[in-house]
Amino acid sequence: MPGSDFRSEVRALIAEILAGLAAILDWQVLGFLAVGVSLGAVFGSLPGLTATMGVAVLTPLTFWVSAEQGLAMLLGIYCGAIPAGGIPAILINVPGTPASIATTWDGYALTRKGSAGLALGVNAIASAVGQLTSIMFLAFLAFPIARFALQFGPAEYFGLALLGISLMAGVSGRHVIKGMLAGMLGLALALVGLDPMTAYPRYTFGMSEFLDGISFVPVMIGLFGLGEVLIQISERHKARKSASAEIGRILPSAPEAKTMAGATFSGATIGTMVGAIPAAGGDIGSVIAWEQARRASRDKDSFGKGSLRGLAASCSACNAAIGGAMTTMLTLGIPGDAVSAILIGALLIHGIQPGPLLFAGNQSFVFSIVFLLVFASLLIMAVGLLGARPLARILNIPPPWLWTGIVLFGTVGAYALNNATVDVWAMYAAGLAGFLFRKARIPLGPLVLGLILGPMMESNLRRALILSRGDWLGLLTRPILLVFLAAAVLSLLWPLMRRKRPATHPQP
Amino acid sequence: MTRADSISGGAFLAVGLALVASGWTFPPGVGGLPGAGFFPQAIGGLMALQAVGLLLKGESGGEDRRPEMSGTRQVAGTAALLFAYLLLWGTGFFAVRTAVFLALLLRFLGQGWLSATGYSAALTAFVYLAFSMGLNVSLE
Repeated sequence: MPGSDFRSEVRALIAEILAGLAAILDWQVLGFLAVGVSLGAVFGSLPGLTATMGVAVLTPLTFWVSAEQGLAMLLGIYCGAIPAGGIPAILINVPGTPASIATTWDGYALTRKGSAGLALGVNAIASAVGQLTSIMFLAFLAFPIARFALQFGPAEYFGLALLGISLMAGVSGRHVIKGMLAGMLGLALALVGLDPMTAYPRYTFGMSEFLDGISFVPVMIGLFGLGEVLIQISERHKARKSASAEIGRILPSAPEAKTMAGATFSGATIGTMVGAIPAAGGDIGSVIAWEQARRASRDKDSFGKGSLRGLAASCSACNAAIGGAMTTMLTLGIPGDAVSAILIGALLIHGIQPGPLLFAGNQSFVFSIVFLLVFASLLIMAVGLLGARPLARILNIPPPWLWTGIVLFGTVGAYALNNATVDVWAMYAAGLAGFLFRKARIPLGPLVLGLILGPMMESNLRRALILSRGDWLGLLTRPILLVFLAAAVLSLLWPLMRRKRPATHPQP
Repeated sequence: MTRADSISGGAFLAVGLALVASGWTFPPGVGGLPGAGFFPQAIGGLMALQAVGLLLKGESGGEDRRPEMSGTRQVAGTAALLFAYLLLWGTGFFAVRTAVFLALLLRFLGQGWLSATGYSAALTAFVYLAFSMGLNVSLE
């Protein structure tokens, strides 16, 4: 009977939800989450130390613990760093992470008006609203998306990987060619190791260490950890401002909360949608949300001069991108941003393959992730509200202490993965490459995506060709693949089309 | 011309051509299907094409804009210290070698001897305890 089928499905779903919750209601898992959120708050509060760097450098620490514990720490860092990135944006006009660029526009203006505490309070609350809204999106829409993705065959996965890389290059701003070249370099690095179809060794130079390919985690630590440290060392003459310890009232009043409620929720919606697009992260989402809030406001002139609505919209959007990116990552196995790219690497090491099959075979684990994200959001809101003053003081730590700490953690972490010095060499080489790429304004995101998506792209294209008996044109009869290919072409042409149109609203 | 674009364009062109050339050395596919060399050649070809685009853009960029290379001495010094540290990996005790490296790095980055020594000793002890004792990683 259909009614009893439905009831048994609902019962099974509730059982999976409860199993997911039970798996993380463990003092060790929650302890790892709390440590992750605290570390994320520190990484986010310090300009230059991003969420990506935090997750990359600390990923090796999670290999000795269970998947739930490791993921709790990494998700804690992710959810903690993005809101904390708003703290230096508000106090010293320097975004702690790229996602909080738009937070500087109204946040710092509020600080100059003597309302730094209020700006920090709005940042903490709007960030939590943004994160929780996007987690709801993940919880409700991830399963239907994953069910749809179960129809994908090798040809569709090839198209999806191609679309991911094209989108990443397309959002590389004025540097589309450089973005595409970086993506190609990532794909080229992914060629190292055994050919996925014939097991023929490629670019291993006779070294057995390269048969499994280039270790992903040391490369990430190098690119985002050591590379960023070298950039900061090269720019150390640019003195960092210090924050004042006096910040004033933190909690917004009821009328203030009412004023910014609409902007907060519209920012959360925009951020979630933008975050779900592969490669488009919180930085883009927050700028769009801020502009949208400005357009919708009757008091447009106040934006950029300390508007609570503008601040709430940008904070909420940059945090909402987390749930969007996680949805894409978990359902399709495509990273939504650089952090989720590293999270894919961490999950794979724990034996978990993100993608639609995860939703078919391991539903309780997906619910564990949802609950971990909810707890992390609530925890970072509490940290943001109660710990605004101590976090403001972190800004005064001497940068060389942080740099040496990151270098040492990165080095030992890379070595500890396989007890192999070759991983440390790989990390140092990637660090130097990351430094040179930043200097040459070559975006690193497409490189990471290429490295992750390369094997998926190659093996699925070749599998699809085997299925179509070598008929390339036969592949083009598949409608989902055609949609992905058309979207990939559009994403590459979009920046060229936009360049023809003059900018309408200059940002502050 | 923009020098950074020209240099990176040249480097990408070299990598792209090397990939195309190396693709010929891999076994070809059978029955009209691509072999192990197909992807390296496809990627190399696309990379070379885009690199030519970047090179042309760099050459016709108008102003002579060079990459900002301030702080090169500090970066070169840091890289040299890292390289030396890695070369010495496996010799002597991890804790001693690491504490000395960190103290030298901190001193090079402008910290006083006292704070450099104290902080490097504390950081080394923390990392040693976390990885060697806590996670059972053999660092020696």
